[in-house]
Amino acid sequence: MAQKVQKLVAKVPTLLGSAVTYSKPRLATFWYYARVELVPPSPAEIPKAIEAAKGLIRSYQTGRLGQTTVKDAVSNGLVTTEVLMWFFIGECIGKGGLIGYNV
Amino acid sequence: MTGSLCLSRSIMAPPVAVSPLIKTARWSALLIGMLYGKQRFDHLKPIAEEERKVEEAEKKLREEQERIYKQLSEASSDTILK
Repeated sequence: MAQKVQKLVAKVPTLLGSAVTYSKPRLATFWYYARVELVPPSPAEIPKAIEAAKGLIRSYQTGRLGQTTVKDAVSNGLVTTEVLMWFFIGECIGKGGLIGYNV
Repeated sequence: MTGSLCLSRSIMAPPVAVSPLIKTARWSALLIGMLYGKQRFDHLKPIAEEERKVEEAEKKLREEQERIYKQLSEASSDTILK
């Protein structure tokens, strides 16, 4: 039993090394995309966002929203769902746990 | 960095320039979520403490009653067939 534990403990550095070699290029890929796509908006972009939101409201008022194709509507729906999911991620961070409130 | 990427897999699409509306919406949703989670946690915490105290008091009462009941039943079941 003690020998098995020793062998396992001896394998840990090699396991860590292979984990690092496995994850490094994937982390690099993730960072390559995240650096452009997942960054928070710079202060210059926030007025543009407000403009785009107003444009959305205007297109809803003029009825142009009814002219979106189904394909566009589905992809917009997916993007909206993704944005809403960030709210739940924030809630998990705020309550300090993944499942339920640990009161 | 791009060189090492092209080695291990097929040519990857360049990163998309996300619209500012989506970016602000995402990160504000994250912020609002964090605030909401913290607020709800702070709201639920004292309620749970109260419930725990009430449960504790009730449990003590119940155990006290069970003890008395057991004592009574033992006292009343005095038979020679013990």
